[in-house]
Amino acid sequence: MVPNNAPFVIFIGQPNCGKSTLFNAIAGHKAQTSNFPGTTVKHTHSRVNIGGRLLNIIDLPGTYSLNPADPAEKVALTHLFQETPDLVVNVVDASILGRSLELTLELLEMELPMVVALNMTDLAEKKGIKVDPQKLSALLGVPVISTIATRGKGIQELFETTLKCLDVKCFGTRLKWSGDVEEEIERLIERLPEDFSCVANKRFTAIKMIESGHLFCNEFLADINPGLKKSLDEVRANLECKRRLPVYEVIAAERHHLSQKIFEESSRVQRGKAIGWQERLDGLIMHPLLGYVILFIVFLSFFFLIFKVGSPLETLLLKPFSWLKAVLEAKLGGGLLFHVADGLLQGIGGGVAIVLPYFIPLLFLMAVLEDVGYLARAGFLLDTFMHRIGLHGKSVSPFILGFGCNVPAIVATRILESRRDRILTSLLIPFIPCSARTTIILALVAFYLGPFWALGFYAANVLLVAVLGRVLSLFMKTASPGLILEIPSLKIPSLKNILFKIYFQLKAFVLFAWPLLVAGSIVLGLIQALHWDRAINAVLSPLVANILGLPKELGVTLVFGFLRKELSLLMMLQALGVGYQNLLSVISRDQMIVFTVFVSFFIPCLSTFAILWKESGKKIAFISAGLSISVAIIVSFLVRLLI
Amino acid sequence: MNLIQAPQGVRLKIVDISGGEQVRRRLLSLGFHAGDEIERIGRGILRGPLLVKMIRSGSSVAIGRGIALKILVEIADGPE
Repeated sequence: MVPNNAPFVIFIGQPNCGKSTLFNAIAGHKAQTSNFPGTTVKHTHSRVNIGGRLLNIIDLPGTYSLNPADPAEKVALTHLFQETPDLVVNVVDASILGRSLELTLELLEMELPMVVALNMTDLAEKKGIKVDPQKLSALLGVPVISTIATRGKGIQELFETTLKCLDVKCFGTRLKWSGDVEEEIERLIERLPEDFSCVANKRFTAIKMIESGHLFCNEFLADINPGLKKSLDEVRANLECKRRLPVYEVIAAERHHLSQKIFEESSRVQRGKAIGWQERLDGLIMHPLLGYVILFIVFLSFFFLIFKVGSPLETLLLKPFSWLKAVLEAKLGGGLLFHVADGLLQGIGGGVAIVLPYFIPLLFLMAVLEDVGYLARAGFLLDTFMHRIGLHGKSVSPFILGFGCNVPAIVATRILESRRDRILTSLLIPFIPCSARTTIILALVAFYLGPFWALGFYAANVLLVAVLGRVLSLFMKTASPGLILEIPSLKIPSLKNILFKIYFQLKAFVLFAWPLLVAGSIVLGLIQALHWDRAINAVLSPLVANILGLPKELGVTLVFGFLRKELSLLMMLQALGVGYQNLLSVISRDQMIVFTVFVSFFIPCLSTFAILWKESGKKIAFISAGLSISVAIIVSFLVRLLI
Repeated sequence: MNLIQAPQGVRLKIVDISGGEQVRRRLLSLGFHAGDEIERIGRGILRGPLLVKMIRSGSSVAIGRGIALKILVEIADGPE
């Protein structure tokens, strides 16, 4: 067995500093990377063997400082404070060193053994910034390794230094702030009782008590140690009085000045470099007019590319399966064995021929958009429209992720600062057509009725989300706090990164979703063979037949659609007892549209429901389910009336 | 003047950031400090957000209008 005493190494850095990419290069591609601040919203844990030594490596969500503003940052903090790591690897973005160092200084205050990975040195040099790692190391008192994570440069050296620092602890220099501020901190430290230590060490505890008024140990302070509380209030008042600034800004300014000083002493900056292609391209992408044209073209080609790749593949792959089905029917007759074998075949075939042809291109394009850095730009462009539905541009990234899968999209709402925004976004995400629903839309609507119908469906879907957002925001008491979103530099995506990303999502599909598809199909086969489906169909018949005007045989597929949306599609064929080619002989075009609309919205799938419960609580999960059911019934009934 | 009233494409110096502690803290952690120089480099249509470049680090931040109202600036003088 693996011994549990392997040292803990924590990766921490500001959002979008390339931390996850670096972590991937070390831990074997497990973290999700993208070019959007705040991708790692959950921490990733990895056990790695480096140079014959076993290490526990933890990749924490990016955080600007150790005073958390959103839940993703809180995750970072909890880990840092509770797990007392054996080594901290602080990843800093060399191209914005001055700001990145503010977190480094805060980490140094914790007096944990630390190594600094000076990342993105290539981007920095393009900007005309040349950082001297030796000088920086001398100033901070910890080893500084220059790396370019995307190209694997400096990784080996980082390994070696990491191992070395685990043996010979590399503690940093204690950097001093302005005399008068230090005096006040010193005064508070002296008043701290011997055994009093909230976090890390006494000095760090004192600083945290001063700068964050609502730190957990401050709240009890008045009860457990009134004397100390009085001293704390005095110190805070003194600092505010001396600098005429709120106390947290006094401390922030100290760190800011110190990090600027270190930046200037360790770097050479050449100003007036020619504008690079990135800036010129950015001018186009975020142009007040062209930007929207580009956005429109990007999404249109996104859709058509997936369809153009998926559709011929689907036709090609379906052939052997319908042939196999015919063979089975001839050999096994219509008994129980046939139904089970047919279910197995439908499950496997559906995965191979219907889901994968659309799923893989979707994953690929999504990864490209993420890694280039387009999501943040889309957030900038769409901010004004998001305001109309009661949100702002930062919600755009979770929404776009929702087109891939709703589950990570809901987790990604953690990057939003206010609970109101998180809940509103989480309630809307289940209405975004995820890849499973895109499969239904493309495989059913586009395949039979043509791509423009599918596109129209998509457009109507987006409109529905907008209307729903508008309505829901009426119920929200507070207003959205407004947009502050860092726009990362444009990057050329690395193919290796994209392929790894596809590989991991595909692996998740094959391991979790596909067995569910196959099992679901077999169960449906069994239910049909035993004629239980009639009972289920009879119960659901008022809804399916009377309200939606669909063949009542489809009732049973809805039950399975709760597990995975693709299941409803596969089972529609199975339930109606027809092959893919002659579907239109038993169901009309209009019925197909109504069915697609209903299945798309009628309930969040099981995993989405579970993650909603986990992230926002039981109440929100049930509100979401109720909302989905009512919207699905109303909208599909309207669609039935209209067409 | 606030950031919305300020002209585009000119170096600006942050005079003060008003607003609640939360907003100030978030702006501070992104590198907005009184005295820092910034430049407005773009804006969204229809009362959209502003795109602001930090002169010193070269990084860009999108700022909604509600927040931009709270950032007070003046036109920076002298060479860089």
